[in-house]
Amino acid sequence: MEFIKKLQDLDRRWIYLIVALAIVIPLLIPFNAPTYTTSPTEKLYQMIDSYSEREDRAILICFAHDASTMAELYPMEVAILRHCFERDVKVFTLTFLPTAAPLINYAIDMVKEEYPEIQSGTNYINIGYKPGALYLPIVVGMGDNIAEAVETDAEGRKLESLPMMKGLTNYNELKLVIETSGASFAGGWITYARARYGVNVAAGVTAVMAADAYPYLQTGQLTGMLSGMKGAAEYEYLTDVFAAYSSDDYPNGRPFSKQVLKDKEEISKIDIAKKYDPETKTGIMYKWKTARLGMNAQSVAHMMIFIFILIGNIGFFIDRHQQNKEKK
Amino acid sequence: MFEIISNLIAAFFTLAIFSFLYKDNPMYRLAEQLLVGISVGYGIPLTWQNAFIPFVYQPIFIQHKWYLIIPCLFGLMYVVRFSRSLSWLARYPIAIGMGMTGAGVVLSMNAGVLVQMRSAMQPIDNINMLLIFIGTVTVLLYFYFSKAHTGFYGKITKVGVWFMMIGFGASFGNTVMARISLLIGRIQFLVYDVIMGFIK
Repeated sequence: MEFIKKLQDLDRRWIYLIVALAIVIPLLIPFNAPTYTTSPTEKLYQMIDSYSEREDRAILICFAHDASTMAELYPMEVAILRHCFERDVKVFTLTFLPTAAPLINYAIDMVKEEYPEIQSGTNYINIGYKPGALYLPIVVGMGDNIAEAVETDAEGRKLESLPMMKGLTNYNELKLVIETSGASFAGGWITYARARYGVNVAAGVTAVMAADAYPYLQTGQLTGMLSGMKGAAEYEYLTDVFAAYSSDDYPNGRPFSKQVLKDKEEISKIDIAKKYDPETKTGIMYKWKTARLGMNAQSVAHMMIFIFILIGNIGFFIDRHQQNKEKK
Repeated sequence: MFEIISNLIAAFFTLAIFSFLYKDNPMYRLAEQLLVGISVGYGIPLTWQNAFIPFVYQPIFIQHKWYLIIPCLFGLMYVVRFSRSLSWLARYPIAIGMGMTGAGVVLSMNAGVLVQMRSAMQPIDNINMLLIFIGTVTVLLYFYFSKAHTGFYGKITKVGVWFMMIGFGASFGNTVMARISLLIGRIQFLVYDVIMGFIK
């Protein structure tokens, strides 16, 4: 009883320390926790994958966040870009926030390191930062003509002169917009681009925003959704299992299949605890498994928080029981 | 070398922010104020380069599209907000902005209300639809205040309260997950980029 009472009076800084350790230790000693994928992530993955090697299809990733939410959103962006580069899907990147502009370059450069054949203007176009005042003219304008709505890319090149624009005019070809955001859930794209032009909209959101976004997912206004670090981990996993897969039958990745996800032998090949060996090129590079390693720490931290809540409640009820006894 | 120095600076400020968990201190306040200052400082030249030059300077002074002076003047009216005698002029650009926002109301109604209502009016052919039906009706009844929440009606509204509590719980769980994720992101940076990078 005394122990429980002492726990009730424990300095909160001890709890901070324990939570910090619960995060640091799994990061230092990684383990191969299973990753289960959910339907919103799978739908997004399948849609992007269906545009593979098609000249008349492209996706747009709108970076709507700054560095403060990078932990959750950046691994999503890296995983989606990797998927696109692996499966030869044309990508546009865009932001209306000045502080997100360097994040786009950072993400593209990080992914491109492993894909030397990927060229700016040919495989992807970084539109870069456009002022927030142009949000509506661009979102609506792209419904008529993408090149006219945004005019130039981040390097100042006219969009119409870039080879990737061949076969791309408007939302008839730019079929999917993904907004990664910590403060919204692609609401503007749903309201203006989807309602008017029927473009598919998906969202990558922080876990805080996920509850607000679910009604839009349920009504089908969001084609897919990546929710927080968990969503990022799921996408990383799907990219490893399918897009980055290589065999004689499938040299450039294999198509999505529920059967493969259920196949224990196939799944056991994805081991995030194993260190990447650059000489033999075995294992998974750290940048492709950031969210999954983070989810290891997340699971341990959640267990700690759960235990703290349990102890706190036990202490509270014991305390109340004793107070009632004393009153009697 | 540049990467090591930049990582060390970032690590220092990360730890300075975390030091608030122990207690408030000058290092925390320095980091907090630098963050605000740098964000604004970074945004001003970027907006100048990406907004003012291509959309104001070049069209007006190089391409001589003089009519663009009119929206610029409206934009400048925001600045007179700081003058007591002229602050009323700022209402015009605000009114134009509000008008533009209002143009989106119809489409917002579709996305935020009509489509949501349509999907809530589906046949109850599975357990999820039944739960959505009970939840929607009981929560709506809870927010109907023209009748006292007593007797049988009170019991129904209590079900609505339970649905809301479960919703808040899920929302709070997501919030905890998000906050822990941010902490993980920073610790991943300290462990993998700073410490491991230093060891390499």
